[in-house]
Amino acid sequence: MKLRDIAIGANASMYYRMDFKKIRGVYYPKTEADVLAAIAFARENGYDVTPKGGGSGLSGACTGGDIDRIMMSSLQMTEMLAISKDMGYVDVQPGLTPDEINAVLEPMGMKLHVAPSSRDIATVGGILSTDGGGNDTWVNGTMRDNTIKVKMVTYDGRRLTVSHEGVKSDDSELEAELNNKGMTINDIASSHGTLGFITELKLFIRPLVNETLAGSLVEFPDYDALGQAVDEIIKRKSPIRYGETIVTAHPDVREGFNPPLLILQYPEGYDSELSEFVDVKKLDKEELKRMKDVRLKLPKRNPKKGVQFALFEGYGFHEESLRKMQSALDEIDALLQSHDLVPFAKYGHAPSKWYLGDNTAAYGIILHSREIRPEGKTGTELLQILLDIVERCESLGVTPKPEHKWPFDDKTKSARLSELRKIIGQGFNSFILDETCNGVLSSMV
Amino acid sequence: MSSSYDKCVRCGSCVKFCPLFDAVGEEQFSPRGKIYLLQIMDQIEDDPELAKEFRQLLFQCTLCGRCSEVCSSDVDLLKVWHEQRAKAVEMAPEEFDYLDALRNSLANVANIYGLDPEDRAIYWLDELEDDIPGLGDRVYEKGKTADTMVFLGCLMSFRGSQMDVLRSLFTMLEEVGEDYLVMGAEENCCGHPLYLMGDEKGAAELRQHNKSVIEDAQAKKVVTCCPGCLIQLREYHNLEKVEALHHTQFFDQKMASTPIYEQTEELAYHDPCELHRILGIKTEPRSLLKKLGVKYREMEASCCGGGGLLRMTDPGLSDIIIQARAAKEKLKDTVVVTACPSCREQLLASENRTKDIVELLADASKGGAE
Ligand SMILES: Cc1cc2nc3c(=O)[nH]c(=O)nc-3n(C[C@H](O)[C@H](O)[C@H](O)COP(=O)(O)OP(=O)(O)OC[C@H]3O[C@@H](n4cnc5c(N)ncnc54)[C@H](O)[C@@H]3O)c2cc1C
Repeated sequence: MKLRDIAIGANASMYYRMDFKKIRGVYYPKTEADVLAAIAFARENGYDVTPKGGGSGLSGACTGGDIDRIMMSSLQMTEMLAISKDMGYVDVQPGLTPDEINAVLEPMGMKLHVAPSSRDIATVGGILSTDGGGNDTWVNGTMRDNTIKVKMVTYDGRRLTVSHEGVKSDDSELEAELNNKGMTINDIASSHGTLGFITELKLFIRPLVNETLAGSLVEFPDYDALGQAVDEIIKRKSPIRYGETIVTAHPDVREGFNPPLLILQYPEGYDSELSEFVDVKKLDKEELKRMKDVRLKLPKRNPKKGVQFALFEGYGFHEESLRKMQSALDEIDALLQSHDLVPFAKYGHAPSKWYLGDNTAAYGIILHSREIRPEGKTGTELLQILLDIVERCESLGVTPKPEHKWPFDDKTKSARLSELRKIIGQGFNSFILDETCNGVLSSMV
Repeated sequence: MSSSYDKCVRCGSCVKFCPLFDAVGEEQFSPRGKIYLLQIMDQIEDDPELAKEFRQLLFQCTLCGRCSEVCSSDVDLLKVWHEQRAKAVEMAPEEFDYLDALRNSLANVANIYGLDPEDRAIYWLDELEDDIPGLGDRVYEKGKTADTMVFLGCLMSFRGSQMDVLRSLFTMLEEVGEDYLVMGAEENCCGHPLYLMGDEKGAAELRQHNKSVIEDAQAKKVVTCCPGCLIQLREYHNLEKVEALHHTQFFDQKMASTPIYEQTEELAYHDPCELHRILGIKTEPRSLLKKLGVKYREMEASCCGGGGLLRMTDPGLSDIIIQARAAKEKLKDTVVVTACPSCREQLLASENRTKDIVELLADASKGGAE
């Protein structure tokens, strides 16, 4: 074993202690041919394949669990293959980040409109596999909405091109079978690397919009008021170009602001309509920049004492749970506190959009949550808390992990993935769909 | 108390900025990868081969500090790398035999080349005395005093490739009428190479002599072109009532305006990592370029691959970094302006053209670029 077989486990989730002996090979392919060769090695030896992008995912899906596996990183697949400004697309390898793509596009006046806070490291292959989004998802949709098609390689070495319309493959039988099942990009979105390795993406790009935006801060007396304001924004289809919320923050990182609050940007002049239902405090350029920075850095900062961690990284408040956020959040906080978890920060995208396991769109607040890492809790205990939260979310009408679509828990999604895997092979990131998944994860905390 | 690397949440923001990751493209070379290995060290340290590989990995780093700069989790990564290097050398000195020649040179002759300390002021004096009359008198001897002490550092004292910078430096010191001395044979290495390998004791011994010479000369300022030397002079020499300055700071203060540089070439400015990121000196080089009226493009604030002893610990990687950089920044038809003898060596070794800011100053004062 070499350090490269171990360092491949580096990832942002709390699941990072693994049995490295089960990593049977680490690959950094540059081309589709390299990918095929690595998969062939895995297949011949009966190993699973775990795709990994930037390792910024928070659900532990890029670790591969504890199956004998090869790890395949996309970090050397970073070519921009084609840019068509006129037709509004870019062809890229999966290991590029939105920041890298936009560094090339922005001087041309174009942009890929997908902006997770982790856009400096999250790869487009990884973002599609979690169907991530960012502070502009409300306007621009999630990753699936920005993906035209993908090329991918399955466990048995067959190649697929999957679009919103369906599947194409050199293998006509496979193509027919998958189209019969209605497979589309919706299935790749949020599949957590269980279907195959994405080797190329065709992504929508659009002109950088040259509009003058105003920025403002809206403070709320309580969570219900915040939820109802966001509900109103959604009903009115308000032209919010940037919408972020800070709901709670530990005093060490609060920096003088007063949550719950919304940081909003919208076309100049829209504040007159906004003022009809909220108290708007205009921010100048510098103030807005500062607020955005405070928000962006919350997931990375630490309290003076202790270390933050993401036990349960996201809650999707929508419809009734959005309008009655206070009681839902109180229940969640009480649950956390009953397990000695000190809330560190809750912040997120508001308004936002995500997809449910059956591919219907939900609109509301995607609330990220960070706690202070408790001393002395075992992995099993932590995972049990997490499962309790999932259960509580379901009873509260809150989507658990809306951005990360926890297939381990989303029954509709996992049933669909299992169905497709029967056709295209079962060798990719299998632990996620295995019933032992929770136990495996708890051993890795 | 938890060590600061425990605070790393492995978000990955540092990965794509790291020159080593950029060069190799594998996780173990990235700051996150290395911190991760530290976080799970209990799982691997019993394996002697892995522990050895990790110690080697710590020296496959340019210590450019970019990871510390981007980290939002309050992890002082540079400090972690320094501490871990010291620990590695202490635990397994035999694995660092290849650094012995350097260590012995510094212990015996107080320079990195193992040359006679008397020769510190020989090569350049021979070469430059005709151009700069009276330069010989500027070399420090006991009893001489001056307002400013020039600290050349090992690279500039011994390397022919630095001669043009030296010529320009002395020309400009004369031009501004500075009362200065050069430390010459009385200069010890500043201790930076030992500091980079975590040998604080060895570095402290070297510094002590420099401190007494600078203070004996009653200098109010010590000026150096080398950011590494400046880190040592400013932060670790404990100089009393002596201000340590980079030459770009010195000339920027001295010259409210400069002659205009007659520019015939395309220029790009490369910020030396130790200068802008570690010492925080960003405005003065740019202020001088502005006064000179040069048009230049800013290069990415990334490392040239020459820092952190990498040229010595893994020259192959160091070459890959500068070559990748040169290709990415399209340096073929560009002269890279910089302000660090080590970056200069690195650029020249990969056949890039480079000028120190003081060369532009001297050219402009002479009445136009050559
Ligand atoms: C500080 C921080 C802020 C964040 N902010 C946001 C945010 O605002 N919005 C958001 O949506 N998420 C956010 N996240 C979570 C994370 O960035 C996303 O989940 C992201 O989509 C993961 O991308 P990645 O490249 O890092 O993938 P990884 O974490 O490496 O992998 C994620 C999943 O994708 C699969 N995968 C990766 N590459 C491929 C491929 N080529 N083919 C097939 N499967 C693949 C993996 O197997 C794994 O299942 C944040 C994370 C952090 C640490």
